[in-house]
Amino acid sequence: MGVKLLLEKAHVEGIRYFDTYRREGGYRSVEKALKTMSPEAIVEEVKKSGLRGRGGAGFPAGMKWSFIAKPEGVPRHLVCNADESEPGTFKDRYLMEFIPHLLIEGLIVSSFALGSNATYIYIRGEYAWIVDILEQAITEAKNNGFLGKNILGSGFDCEIYVQRGAGAYICGEETALIESLEGKRGNPRIKPPFPAIQGVWQRPTVVNNVETLAAVVPIINMGGEEYAKIGVGKSTGTKLISACGNINKPGVYEIDMTISVEEFIYSDEYCGGIANGKKLKACIPGGSSVPILPANLLLKTAKGETRYMNYESLSDGGFATGSMMGSGGFIVFDEDQCIVKNTYTLARFYRHESCGQCSPCREGTGWMEKLLYRLDKGEGKLSDIDLLWDIQRKIEGNTICPLGDAAAWPVAAAIRHFRDEFEWHVTNAKEAQERNYGLAHYADPIHVPVAG
Amino acid sequence: MVKFNETQQAEFNRLVARYPEGKQKSALLPVLHLAQDSFGGWLSNETMDYVAELLNITPIEVYEVATFYSMYNLKPVGKYMFEVCQTGPCMLRGSDDIVAYIKEKLGIKPGETTADGLFTLKTVECLGACGYAPMMQLGKHYREHLTKDKVDSIIDECRKNAAANN
Repeated sequence: MGVKLLLEKAHVEGIRYFDTYRREGGYRSVEKALKTMSPEAIVEEVKKSGLRGRGGAGFPAGMKWSFIAKPEGVPRHLVCNADESEPGTFKDRYLMEFIPHLLIEGLIVSSFALGSNATYIYIRGEYAWIVDILEQAITEAKNNGFLGKNILGSGFDCEIYVQRGAGAYICGEETALIESLEGKRGNPRIKPPFPAIQGVWQRPTVVNNVETLAAVVPIINMGGEEYAKIGVGKSTGTKLISACGNINKPGVYEIDMTISVEEFIYSDEYCGGIANGKKLKACIPGGSSVPILPANLLLKTAKGETRYMNYESLSDGGFATGSMMGSGGFIVFDEDQCIVKNTYTLARFYRHESCGQCSPCREGTGWMEKLLYRLDKGEGKLSDIDLLWDIQRKIEGNTICPLGDAAAWPVAAAIRHFRDEFEWHVTNAKEAQERNYGLAHYADPIHVPVAG
Repeated sequence: MVKFNETQQAEFNRLVARYPEGKQKSALLPVLHLAQDSFGGWLSNETMDYVAELLNITPIEVYEVATFYSMYNLKPVGKYMFEVCQTGPCMLRGSDDIVAYIKEKLGIKPGETTADGLFTLKTVECLGACGYAPMMQLGKHYREHLTKDKVDSIIDECRKNAAANN
């Protein structure tokens, strides 16, 4: 069993409620932080911990905190990003649903560190029942003196509010989230200015993912240096992985980033192997926007080394032969799955979620969806594959926010690694409607056979 | 005429009080949820104009938001809306079959409502239940690990609830 810092107590009976959570050692980090530490010291501990943003980008959290501007007389805000919407990702939901006080505890300490007296949790609108769970937890924390005025006699005031979104993936992008929090369409802002300087209501703002803020609790309790000893290299601490697709045990797992991908998929402690005795075909290891990898490149890097479940190892080989840790949305495909069909559903997703501000993304995602639909239905042409490649190249890097990249990468990786399967959908169109391509042989992962 | 009753007005006040003075527009998304729940499950122009008036913003500021987010219904929907996820992870676990089954069983296509006004079928993009796929959202909650049998029992449950409430 690996180390568990976040979910260790998630299944204690009644942990959703304050009394049990407190009895199990909850809110100790608030006592330690507010009574014995300065805000600067907390930021320092988070820096030492090496904690990287758990939403997908993996940016060092302590560094992000240190950027916040502190102009005289201007309130600052902490905003918790609970807009979890990346296909394959359902870890934050799990944490909020089962152990909500862990998030509230992390939010109080983080709010103190950043000087936020009004902190907002922006949660995706579909998680409607979790809003009630969080509001209940907030009320309990407040009734017990951990929120409100002069918390634990420290002089620090803090309120936490839950804001419900209304169905828009783009609001997981921090500036779109801020726009949405202001009651507007979720159109990402041009940066700079960064939120740390001008965020919500033009005030300095830090936006962090649910899991990132929850991780502040063990960091304060054990100290940043101890936290950094868990894991490997720059992948410190633990990471929540939400595993789904064709596996025996889908669910949310907390790992310490030292285990191999193979162990994660096949061990009974985690995914329990591929369902129905099938073979592993491919996997998207970090949420739908990161590159899909065929089984051979998933389990071993191009150099033939074992691939591990951490930031560095998953991205080993760059996009040519590697992928990314991303949000930890681990999607597994068995031998019966169709890569063309899957890529089509993801292209449809990104077209649906594009905010429409930037032409490459607004138009490009629609074209990609149409081409993939055609290929999936057996009505495609071989030149469509090159056209898809060309379109995704023209989206990537040419948009205000990373949604464009997120839409381009899955298409690029599918063509890069499964070009033969795309071609088969054209050359054997009728057969492709009746059966799936199966494992066959993978496209040569090193050589990228595309035009232009 | 649309108008919040006392309970709804109290909830409105609670929502608006969360934001700094003069930033009441920030309450727009939660207030639109409240309005949709209060006035028949969708947002008519009249409802949106009412929200604009309450928040002291222009109607266009409400329209542009209501049309951006997928959870706001801009036309009437059935009493029970089946929002079935069809994105990759659900597709891998057979969501296409679930959609086909509901279509056949209710005789409606995605986006349509049954003649009795009870059911609307809608296909949606990832709802964050990938490990419990296939799934649908029904009202405030998720229905997960769907099978044809489960769909049958959900439909029966809705019909019974509707009959009991009439």
